[in-house]
Amino acid sequence: MRPLTEEETKTLFTKLANYIGKNLTQLIDRSDEDYCFRLHKDRVFYVSESAMRLAISVARPNLISLGTCFGKFSKTGKFKLHITALDYLAQYAKYKVWIKPNGEMPFLYGNHVVKAHLGRITEDTPEHQGVVVYNMSDIPLGFGVTARSTADTRKLDPTAILVFHQSDVGEYLRDEDTLF
Amino acid sequence: MDVSTLLQAQNDKFKSIEVDKEHEIDPGLLLVSDLNPIDAEAHEANLEDHLQSTARDGVQALLAALFSLPIHSSPDGPVAKLPAPTYELPRAKPLPKPKPQTKWERFASAKGIQHSVKDKKVWDEEKQDWVNRWGRYGKNKELEDQWLTEVPANADVDFDPAKDAKTKRKEVIAKNTKQRDANLARAQKAADPKESRKKEIESTLQSTRKSTASMGKFDKKLDGEKKIRGIKRKFEPAEVSAANERKSSLAILAGLEGSSAKKARRAEQDGQGASDVVNVRKAVKFASGGKGSHSLARSASTQKGKTSFKKGKR
Repeated sequence: MRPLTEEETKTLFTKLANYIGKNLTQLIDRSDEDYCFRLHKDRVFYVSESAMRLAISVARPNLISLGTCFGKFSKTGKFKLHITALDYLAQYAKYKVWIKPNGEMPFLYGNHVVKAHLGRITEDTPEHQGVVVYNMSDIPLGFGVTARSTADTRKLDPTAILVFHQSDVGEYLRDEDTLF
Repeated sequence: MDVSTLLQAQNDKFKSIEVDKEHEIDPGLLLVSDLNPIDAEAHEANLEDHLQSTARDGVQALLAALFSLPIHSSPDGPVAKLPAPTYELPRAKPLPKPKPQTKWERFASAKGIQHSVKDKKVWDEEKQDWVNRWGRYGKNKELEDQWLTEVPANADVDFDPAKDAKTKRKEVIAKNTKQRDANLARAQKAADPKESRKKEIESTLQSTRKSTASMGKFDKKLDGEKKIRGIKRKFEPAEVSAANERKSSLAILAGLEGSSAKKARRAEQDGQGASDVVNVRKAVKFASGGKGSHSLARSASTQKGKTSFKKGKR
């Protein structure tokens, strides 16, 4: 377990800022307790300072997880968000997409969101913007990246992809072995 | 009653303020050096006492020197001004290495050309004032903002004197930049060729050592051959204070926002405000009922006319 280097922090922040924008400061500068990011076995954990200090005394091979796993760094230095980060992304998300009940299962099986399944979308969402996907009863299901801006979606046919799937809560079952 | 005996008794309790040894004193640095040979007998007999008395003599001498300085009164009490230090302290850092000469400096020193510093300001006859030779409102930009310029007889039809002057000035700047870069490159190259060659050989040797099928693992080791060491990564300690960490990550975040500020400004001009306060495009769409800013402005002006008309009617 170690703090992130400057480069890693930059990569992480640019990725997170794609979803939550300026709300990122809310994650860093919290009023209740100091939270920090820690890297352990290529995974980035968002953890309170007190929990981090307790975890310091655990030897590296014995430490499995701490705090909330936000994602992991690939060997090429790119950062991949994990579904476990959804709690925080959903809380601070800037752009949101709601999908109809008949689109829930296809999304939870790892498919993209097509126009036919789209219930609502935040107005003025730009293209290639990170969005959090909710069902109609406002339960976060996952997140993805928009394929088109809101303005462009009007003319599309019902089978056109609107949101590229990145992660969904179905991964808790599908990737149970590798996720943690 | 004779108090002299009492005074004498009182004085005898303390050591004399007289010191019968020679010291080198520099009141400017509050420094005393005792250059007297060590009294071997006293040194052998009791080391602590000897050291203490030597130190005491030194301090006494220094204080005596301080009290002999001219004293004047101040709101904080009597004050003596220390003279300038005379003792020369040795230099803490080595002397700076001389900078590598530029091409011009080498030429000038070979030819014996003296360097003369040009003033930054030059006299402007028209303005009757000192103006910058270059930079803001610089004299070198004078040709670029004349209201009237003489055009050479063989000039093109679309000859623009201001533009011409500017391109010439920019060319000079470009030439200077190029020469400066060349000088830097030359200085880099000239920095101790022996050392750089040594490094080169070492790196070649390292790469050959791990260029076998086993990446050097099963090679025959020579005597005194050192283990190849890679670059050692260094990380911040895990238990750094959270406040510090927060500060540094906020700084990184501010840097990221700075880099994307241009992008955000463009988005804002489009009306897709990144500034979170008001989404201008959305607001205009809402206020105008989807007809756009022009119709909004038009309706606002007609509304004004209408109200005044109504007033007139009444």
